[in-house]
Amino acid sequence: MFCGEKKLLETERRVKANDREFNEKFQYANNRIHTSKYNVLTFLPINLFEQFQRVANAYFLFLLILQLIPEISSLSWFTTIVPLVLVLTITAVKDATDDFFRHKSDNQVNNRLSEVLINGRLQSEKWMNVKAGDIIKLENNQFVAADLLLLSSSEPHGLCYIETAELDGETNLKVRHALPVTSELGADISRLAKFDGVVACEPPNNKLDKFTGELSWKDNKYPLSNEKIILRGCVLRNTSWCFGMVIFAGPDTKLMQNSGRTKFKRTSIDRLMNTLVLWIFGFLVCMGIILAIGNSIWEHQVGDYFQAFLFRDEVVKNPIFSGFLTFWSYVIILNTVVPISLYVSVEVIRLGHSHFINWDRKMYYSKKETLAEARTTTLNEELGQIEYVFSDKTGTLTQNIMTFNKCSINGRTYGEIYDNLGRKIEINEKTKSVDFSFNPQADSRFRFYDHSLIESIKLGDPKVHEFFRLLALCHTVMPEEKNEGKLIYQVQSPDEGALVTAARNFGFVFKSRTPETITIEEMGKVVTYQLLAFLDFNNIRKRMSVIVQNPEGQIKLYCKGADTILFEKLHPSNEELMTLTSDHLSEFGGEGLRTLAIAYRDLNEEYFTEWFKLLEEASRGLDMRDERIAAAYEEIERDMMLLGATAIEDKLQDGVIETIASLSLANIKIWVLTGDKQETAMNIGYSCNMLTDDMNEVFVISGQTAADVWEEFKKAKEILFERSTGFTNGYAFCEKLQELKLGSTVEETVTGDYALIINGHSLGYALEANLQNEFLEIACICKTVICCRVTPLQKAQVVELVKMHRKAVTLAIGDGANDISMIKSAHIGVGISGQEGMQAVLASDYSFAQFRYLQRLLLVHGRWSYFRMCKFLCYFFYKNFAFTLVHFWFGFFCGFSAQTVYDQWFITLFNIVYTSLPVLAMGIFDQDVSEQNSLDYPNLYGPGQLNLLFNKRKFFICIAHGVYTSFALFFIPYGVFYNVAGEDGKHITDYQSFAVTIATSLVIVVSVQVRQLQRAQDKATPLKSHKRQPRRTSSRRSGYAFAHQEGYGELITSGKNMRVKNLPTSGLGKTMYNSTSWIENLCKKTTDTVNSFSLDRTVKL
Amino acid sequence: MACLFRGVVLGGLVPFAAGPLSPQNSKFLPKPMSHQESQEMKSNNCQGLPSRMPDNTAFQQQQLPAWRPSLTARAVLPGFFTTGVFFLSMGILLILSAKSVKEIEITYTDICSNCSKLRENASNFYKECTCSISFFIPEKMPGNVYMYYKLYNFYQNYRRYIISRNNRQLLGEDITNVENCAPFQRVSNDIPIAPCGAIANSMFNDTILLSYYPNSSTRINVPLLSSDITWWTDKHVKFQNPKSSNLASAFAGTVKPPYWRKPVYQLDQGNPENNGFLNSDFIVWMRVAALPTFKKLYRRIHRIQQFADGLPAGNYSLDISYNFPVTLFKGEKGVVLSTVMWSGGKNFFLGIAYTTTGAVTWLAAFSMTAVHLKLKKKKAFFQC
Repeated sequence: MFCGEKKLLETERRVKANDREFNEKFQYANNRIHTSKYNVLTFLPINLFEQFQRVANAYFLFLLILQLIPEISSLSWFTTIVPLVLVLTITAVKDATDDFFRHKSDNQVNNRLSEVLINGRLQSEKWMNVKAGDIIKLENNQFVAADLLLLSSSEPHGLCYIETAELDGETNLKVRHALPVTSELGADISRLAKFDGVVACEPPNNKLDKFTGELSWKDNKYPLSNEKIILRGCVLRNTSWCFGMVIFAGPDTKLMQNSGRTKFKRTSIDRLMNTLVLWIFGFLVCMGIILAIGNSIWEHQVGDYFQAFLFRDEVVKNPIFSGFLTFWSYVIILNTVVPISLYVSVEVIRLGHSHFINWDRKMYYSKKETLAEARTTTLNEELGQIEYVFSDKTGTLTQNIMTFNKCSINGRTYGEIYDNLGRKIEINEKTKSVDFSFNPQADSRFRFYDHSLIESIKLGDPKVHEFFRLLALCHTVMPEEKNEGKLIYQVQSPDEGALVTAARNFGFVFKSRTPETITIEEMGKVVTYQLLAFLDFNNIRKRMSVIVQNPEGQIKLYCKGADTILFEKLHPSNEELMTLTSDHLSEFGGEGLRTLAIAYRDLNEEYFTEWFKLLEEASRGLDMRDERIAAAYEEIERDMMLLGATAIEDKLQDGVIETIASLSLANIKIWVLTGDKQETAMNIGYSCNMLTDDMNEVFVISGQTAADVWEEFKKAKEILFERSTGFTNGYAFCEKLQELKLGSTVEETVTGDYALIINGHSLGYALEANLQNEFLEIACICKTVICCRVTPLQKAQVVELVKMHRKAVTLAIGDGANDISMIKSAHIGVGISGQEGMQAVLASDYSFAQFRYLQRLLLVHGRWSYFRMCKFLCYFFYKNFAFTLVHFWFGFFCGFSAQTVYDQWFITLFNIVYTSLPVLAMGIFDQDVSEQNSLDYPNLYGPGQLNLLFNKRKFFICIAHGVYTSFALFFIPYGVFYNVAGEDGKHITDYQSFAVTIATSLVIVVSVQVRQLQRAQDKATPLKSHKRQPRRTSSRRSGYAFAHQEGYGELITSGKNMRVKNLPTSGLGKTMYNSTSWIENLCKKTTDTVNSFSLDRTVKL
Repeated sequence: MACLFRGVVLGGLVPFAAGPLSPQNSKFLPKPMSHQESQEMKSNNCQGLPSRMPDNTAFQQQQLPAWRPSLTARAVLPGFFTTGVFFLSMGILLILSAKSVKEIEITYTDICSNCSKLRENASNFYKECTCSISFFIPEKMPGNVYMYYKLYNFYQNYRRYIISRNNRQLLGEDITNVENCAPFQRVSNDIPIAPCGAIANSMFNDTILLSYYPNSSTRINVPLLSSDITWWTDKHVKFQNPKSSNLASAFAGTVKPPYWRKPVYQLDQGNPENNGFLNSDFIVWMRVAALPTFKKLYRRIHRIQQFADGLPAGNYSLDISYNFPVTLFKGEKGVVLSTVMWSGGKNFFLGIAYTTTGAVTWLAAFSMTAVHLKLKKKKAFFQC
């Protein structure tokens, strides 16, 4: 392979461990990353080249060259060169500073140290020197330096935990495990150094969840999957060390491959301005041609006879050549229709607006001391034109905090508080929360407001006790005791964390677990339960159970799960309680809470032993094993006694609902793109009122193949257009599509609210060329679109799709590294700041701490910026046309000789001094309506979306106005000066007086004109006060918010994830499964459940 | 506040550069106001006291006092009427004033056609040609009377013409400085021309004498003053003779412009003060006209004897020494005698413009009043 073509040709990667020479043959990229653009030598040429790629700069350079030719120089060169050089220098300085910081951050990353196995010894090596094939050692909480194949780890069976928040935004820990053969290597350096396996795998790509490869070692071949790969950007957690072999390094890593290429963002007004500048240039050429022809004629008719006094150079004698030169002279004179100061002023105004965003106290989040920040100063007015908002869910709409909010125990609800008159009290910061000080183990962050629950506990209500005992026992949480008995829970699902923490605060503290026991502290008394069986969660069962034996020997099954499933398994005697609880569940669901039903069953020992045999038999069986196990689970999980239900709030950030409501009133469409699973995403959709039960239809697209997806789209369309007949045949379909392309006619025919929910897999097909139009069509009709399980790249693709086909201005908002690509590809990227990861903020154009500030950013700042910018541009073009065209009229009276009307200094300073302040003040400060009004009447935002205030039509009006003004400005003084004398008889019709008169009137006229700009006086319908109203009628959504597809029950019961020292030597059901087969089991199951999950199309649980 | 404005001033400079930056470029940039912020951050770290919360100033929070006029009919209409009244009265005054100006114009290109012909040929350069024209002033021209020469179709505003002068030379500082004067910088043997340039070279050089005939046999030369016909600033600031004991020596080493008959220091043999660059006719000519048809002040009538009250009605004649060729470029020239009013010479344009504007304003005001009154009856519209 030749090195130059390497990237194109790489179809398979072969990496040999510990063999740099072998790997060097392939010239794989090393681990150094480059984000900087220049170095010392290339800076000047590249930067200048880039700068002159801007049409404006190139244009002014061209003018400058023209002005240096004495024959045509109608203006002195300083009128152009001074501002041009200034602009170039400052831009260059700024670029250089930027690049310097980029160099610095590159260096910082490249110089991070990691331990690399070189020549049989571990050595500290800089990241940039790490090469594919190296074996490196990672320690706990370290960032992973490159994409690694996990070889071995401190945990048993080569397990290791990683946090992938940087990659996909999921905060739960993920498990990776090494191949058994390599995990045996352990930390034995000498054996690791001798490891010479060859990995053959796919070439670098950006798929975060796929990896296919093969390890050949010692004449054996082992398949490799994503489960054995640790990607760059992950953080190692709960694992004291691990060893990995570098497979992809530096730019080849999936992280770098995924970081979408940054594009230079410009606003639509910018683009329009560029077009207009080209048009103006065309106009200028036309005028130049007219004047040049005039000059030729004049020279021929008049000038020729004028030699005696009006001397002309020999070269200019030919009228046609003279006309040619005149053309260029006029190009120079008339260039002030597009002065440099336009660009400068636009930047000044935008900078001013950016400052106002930074200074806004109403966008300052005092809890985290975070200011809103306009990181890009060039996009402000586009904030006033947003049509689509793409939002991440976790951390953006939600706080990523699950709180135990309410519960229903034995037919009574807890969690709501009422005043003396029995009215419900809105819970706010001032509401007194329950004092948990009696409980030394309580988590101080936990808040609960209903005092009756704690009283029930203190009174010793057995049902309430049982309820919390269940919460403390039935879960997969791992406890970690930090210093001085401070408990930290490691949770795979934040829901479970919330439940266990609640139990902990109410006096049922989960203390520790071994594979066979669970120790909890019940109201101060430590009790150890034998864990007899663990009936794990999965997506079909939608429930989990534990069977425990308390010290008294009583055996109990505790179960929690989705209510619909659980209610079928109850003992008939629960009928009454079930109806009551069901009502409560509906109520909780209506408030957007996520619910779980909770039940228990008393088991006698004989029954259990019998059942356990059945289970063991089932698990030993080879065929139909899963089905048989499931059947065994079904067998025991019945006739249960209902305890109650929990309601967990996936806490929305403050003001999210209001913001979304307000933005929807402003006709901004909000799409949620999340990596989270469908249920969670929909739940949030409901809780922030994006999905409601009043909706005509919620389409769920979760097809596994392109055909499925197409089928689902077709169905959705049939429903959408059910009135339009004959739509099913392909021809009509095409017609409709064309209609869509022509305009939004289709959308208008559809009435009613629809929502579209699509998962990542289907989205992959939907984004392909043949389906994307349909996807877009349906999605744009729907009021709400939620995409779940999407990869970072898909997020970006969705944004690109809308950007491309809808010609709409898009905004993407997110907080995590997985949102970066979307943030970068949207017109405007907003990062939520004040959280741990800063990547999203660094890639964003604007950042603030809370989603709700988006409302203010768009409706107040964006709207103002847009209005101001539009007014400014209209005015500026008007002003400069009024200013410049006077030369055109004068041309007819000075023999088309390209004589300027004004003094040269006036021309130089007109835009900078004479007329700069009023227009700048308008552009920076003008408020057409007060901020309160623009918040109260979101439809005032409309003109921006429709681009009404500055478009080609407006532009022509401004131009016409300017032409008219210039006409008046020239001909009124002309009439006045014609044949006039001063009041002392002296001659005052001289050129200077004339010039000054016109210039003065010009300055007065255009300055007065600033005020004349029309004021928007839209009367909008007032926004209904949108308090959060609980919708009692809402459907219930119950279930786990597991970000994974399957519970970690097996992991817990097998003891695999517990440190060896914790592992007791014996116990009752010591291992349910053969320990070596466990890992294979897990792998198999995971792939199964992935499929089952995707097939699972149930929407409403 | 000082700090705040520092931010603004800084802001004024940065935007030059902000334009072509891509967003990712700016990610490492210090935030705007970084200075202030970093200070705050520092103090924050040290004492934990001041927050990063932005200052609550009217400027920063966009709460500056603003004028939000509500343009109701009641507020606007009186304004329109007043403006209308003002413009109308101004217009009428101006028209009346222009009407009372007495002005007589005599174009003599055609009348002196033999001289015009003669001048068309450059070889007749040194031949004298005089021309006499009689005319009659029907009404007395009261007060100050001014005599102008008027040129038609003379493009003093032609670009190459207008730039062909050197103001430093005219200031008398450096008599040999002929920069920008192309093509009349030097004569062939490299001697600089003073005054150089096309404007000076083409100076109007007819001499005009005015005679009054109180009766058919008596002829009185109307006394003409060449003083105080220039702008004060021109005479005293912009034009200076080179410093020397006498003018001739001051201009030594230079040569007269090719179209001139006499060197610059001999322009007015009658009055030695009125020579060199300070010659009034020269200064007047050098103040180039804005439009191709223009008149320039030539002389003032000296108000003595019969002419103390201006020019009486009666017969007059002009004696013109015809030197300036205009027929070459299809131009014309003439003499204008005019009185002036507070509004200047005889020009109706301004008055008409004012009157028209006033009339239009009134028209607008009336129609708006009509609309207003009509809508007022249907109150529904205006009740929001």
